[in-house]
Amino acid sequence: MDLPSGTRNYNYAEDMAIFRTKTHWFLLFALLVILFTAPLWFGNYWLSIANLIGITIIAVTGLNILTGYCGQLSIGHAGFMAVGAYTSVILTTRFNLPFLVGLICAGVMAGIIGMIFGIPSLRVKGFYLAISTIAAQAIIIWVIRGWTSVTGGYTGLEASPASIGNLILKSQTSEFFLILIITIIAIFAAKNLVRTRVGRAFVAIRDNDLAAEVMGINLFRYKLTAFFIGCFFAGIAGALLAHISRLASPEYFSFTNSVLYIGMIIIGGLGTTIGPIFGVIFFQLLNVLVTKLSPALQSAFPHLPGGFTSGIAPMLFGLAIILFLIFEPRGIAHRWQLFKSAYRFWPFSY
Amino acid sequence: MKTKRFSPVMAIVLAIILLVTPLLTSCGPKVADTTKVLKIGMMTPSTGPVPEKGIPGQHGIQDAMEYINNELGGAGGYKIQVSWRDSAYDPAKVATIIQDFINEGDILFTTHSSSEMKMAQGTANEAGFPGLATFISTMNLHPAKHIYGPTPDYGDDFVALIKYYMDNIWTGTGKPKVALHLLSGSVGAGTLDGANAMAEELGVEIVATEYHAINTTSEIESLTRIKAKSPDVLIISGVPASTAIIIENAKTLGMYPGTTIMCASASFTKSLVDTVTAQSGADAIEGVYGVFHTVSWEDDVPGIAKAKEYCMKNHPSDYGNMDYLSTWATCLTIREILETAVKNVGYDVLSKGNAAAWKAVEEQGIQKLKGYKVEGLQGGTITYTAGDNRLDKYLRMYKVSGGKITPLGKWEEAPLIKYTQYGDK
Amino acid sequence: MAQLLQFTITGLAIGMIYSLIALGFVVVWKSSGVANLSLGQLVLLLSWFTYSMLAQAGLPFYFGLPLVIVFALLLGWIIERIILRPLIAQPILSLITVTLGLAYFIEGIVVIIWPQSQASLPRLFPMETVHIGSAVVTQEYLWAALISVVLFILLSLYFRYNRMGIAMRATADDQKAVQACGIPVTKIFSRSWMFACVLAAVGGILMSSIGGIRQGLTETGLLAFSVVILGGLDSFAGAMIAGPIIGLVETVGSGYLANFIKWPEIRTVIPFIIIIIVMCVKPYGLFGENRIERI
Repeated sequence: MDLPSGTRNYNYAEDMAIFRTKTHWFLLFALLVILFTAPLWFGNYWLSIANLIGITIIAVTGLNILTGYCGQLSIGHAGFMAVGAYTSVILTTRFNLPFLVGLICAGVMAGIIGMIFGIPSLRVKGFYLAISTIAAQAIIIWVIRGWTSVTGGYTGLEASPASIGNLILKSQTSEFFLILIITIIAIFAAKNLVRTRVGRAFVAIRDNDLAAEVMGINLFRYKLTAFFIGCFFAGIAGALLAHISRLASPEYFSFTNSVLYIGMIIIGGLGTTIGPIFGVIFFQLLNVLVTKLSPALQSAFPHLPGGFTSGIAPMLFGLAIILFLIFEPRGIAHRWQLFKSAYRFWPFSY
Repeated sequence: MKTKRFSPVMAIVLAIILLVTPLLTSCGPKVADTTKVLKIGMMTPSTGPVPEKGIPGQHGIQDAMEYINNELGGAGGYKIQVSWRDSAYDPAKVATIIQDFINEGDILFTTHSSSEMKMAQGTANEAGFPGLATFISTMNLHPAKHIYGPTPDYGDDFVALIKYYMDNIWTGTGKPKVALHLLSGSVGAGTLDGANAMAEELGVEIVATEYHAINTTSEIESLTRIKAKSPDVLIISGVPASTAIIIENAKTLGMYPGTTIMCASASFTKSLVDTVTAQSGADAIEGVYGVFHTVSWEDDVPGIAKAKEYCMKNHPSDYGNMDYLSTWATCLTIREILETAVKNVGYDVLSKGNAAAWKAVEEQGIQKLKGYKVEGLQGGTITYTAGDNRLDKYLRMYKVSGGKITPLGKWEEAPLIKYTQYGDK
Repeated sequence: MAQLLQFTITGLAIGMIYSLIALGFVVVWKSSGVANLSLGQLVLLLSWFTYSMLAQAGLPFYFGLPLVIVFALLLGWIIERIILRPLIAQPILSLITVTLGLAYFIEGIVVIIWPQSQASLPRLFPMETVHIGSAVVTQEYLWAALISVVLFILLSLYFRYNRMGIAMRATADDQKAVQACGIPVTKIFSRSWMFACVLAAVGGILMSSIGGIRQGLTETGLLAFSVVILGGLDSFAGAMIAGPIIGLVETVGSGYLANFIKWPEIRTVIPFIIIIIVMCVKPYGLFGENRIERI
């Protein structure tokens, strides 16, 4: 299991601890040190990639709560991110509210909109729900594009840089720290949420909603809660994206992104906290690889078909989704578990 | 069993991807660093929804830079090194590409389209990283910051089209009725800005404003509404693919001939003519007007001779393409900028690739531009006037006749328009 | 009045093509319970393949078009055999997401093989437009409507009278019972995917002879979803009736609404609003079967 051989739990606190052994604490500490000193040895480019990864992790963690834990497939997550992005930008620029207030409001607003579009989930599921979330995204983006007096339409809204008190976070490095801290909070919150009563109710609904209802779980309440929480994370991520790119534009929140997010949780591992992290990193690094390699490849092999270098990314990613679903439906997270236990039991096979 | 066999392969593939990524990327662009070069970053949307603009643009960059570095000896004696990226018209990608350019120490960047620039300009303006977009919209240039247009913007397209119409085509009395069909995005928004600001002054009435998506497949419904208003002019501001659909559908509905159809610069290129001809026959596009910011391929100027030579040598299929020519002209302008900057501040400042170098490029390069002729490729001369980030202000009218884009008359100067909605004062 | 007639005719004509593509969805759903979200991408891929055969390779129609159909059959068989077969009896979540992965994969393939974003098929139908009253419609639309009706009738007959068709219906009802009767269920699944791909090919050829081959073809997939949601996921007749309804509401509705609501592109969002309304009022569509679940 999750613990090294010979570790026993003698009380409840030990049983519940996420970081149980000294090695755990040491590794955590080492990871945090590495992450917080990252700006020293990352260039601006890699920091911007890291920021993008962090934001995507937040959004995908939310989607994982909704889809991975509660089983409500949502293919409109980017739409809810857009709601968050616009809420925060409008509040901070038009009403001059502090950034942190805007950020929280972005999450709440996205959560509420998510709940509204989650209402059909009470009556329908599976494919029907998937289509209604696609519809939700289309409608949200259409409203944003059309309601020019509020959202600026296609031009988008210029966003101010993030700020805490008098501290304006303008540089890549400071944005990196902001996103890193929020990402850690989000992961920690998600990890703990799924261990509470609410989280267990989500899992029950995912595994069999009729059975869950018979057991006394209020489906309506918990499904909407799942939508709220999932979209809350999306809203936060959307707001961060708008503030660090200084622009809230409908073009950031395309349908393709929604599909990608689903792909990321599949590849990473549905219904695990670590899954989204793996999935996002896998995809973003693949993307970087392709963007960076394409000019080199195109000059090295002029006879490659013209679209090779750019078609290869969606092709590989689609292939990865298919292969993972067929061969490893539990995603990279499961492989990671296997690796951990193999490491612990070495040199014995089990 | 299956999963067991699969696991080592999967683990190895993953490990390779994770390991190789930083290695490849770190050793990629450093190959040509041995000689003294001026580094700039350029992106085109070679994939995604508008490759019909991006691919010729990309070829234009390759050929023009070959010409500049081999025949003109680079800029100020230093070769220009371009890091080219495919933006795929994807905003998230544009944002990381800009960071990449900054990180590499590029002293200037370009995008092909106004949409890409819209995504890049937030970061660029804040950092003071000067940029140019080959096709530029009002929202990129207003208020004037660190983004420059080597050519007039889409708002100016509207002015030029209507001016020509009023002077040469309109024979009736009263105000002619104008219908706009706009691409939802920065292209259409630019034309709409121009229309909102100038329609009154030019003496036309906007009777209909319709929008189309970049990948539209039928516009019969919106054109039916336009038809009901019986406009005298239909101005289409979109990309070649969407403009082609609208022209075909207008033909189906019997609006054309009858209503004068005019296209803004983003769409007016060879692929528009080719697409409509293949789909609905040559007479569907015959007589359509368009505006553009460079000379045509038939003009007898030194720039065309060179462009033709390199185009026929390297990318013969792009012959006659206006996107190719536009990027060619932009590359020449960049060379002029860099040459001016090298002359004024010297190579050492520029080679640093930091904020000081950007400032030098902007203040001692771009803003010192005066009277550069772009080898005759553009109507005016490349000249910077304070407060106006358009480096060239001239547009020329074209018409499709005999399946070819042929020029009409003289160049039209586009005045600087104040757009209060973007914060102009 | 002239406007209304134009809107109605355009709407009905477009709607018939939506129906055709929606039939491809229903075939798969009806026999294997897989929701195919890669419908639009299949349409795009097969349109480009047609382009390669007819325009790039320059084959004559009588040879090129049957070749496209053969390719579509092969494609359907391969997709089912390689991608869907290993996932039999997996949760619906996996079945939906695997088609999303497939959609992404196909999009990549299309970009690699055909990097140009647009192309036109050689003319299949005469160019003259047809005037109905004051309305104008191109001949392609009429042909498309005719072909969809013919295919609908053929499919309905097949499912009603052919042994295999009856077996396909039975599979939808109860897989285990069908298997117990000695009917090869896997064969039925692969046949349904082959049908779906042929329908996508025909739909693609019709769509691209109307508006050229564009990336936008993938969005017809989304429109087809609104058709099946309205008509009911497992009903051919539902898809056949819902298609023109969606087409009509889309064109007539936006045709007039656009005069009042100045937000751009209202046409593109109407099908989605219909989806949300149907979902709240009658989730299983006009003709869909309301399934009762057991624990």
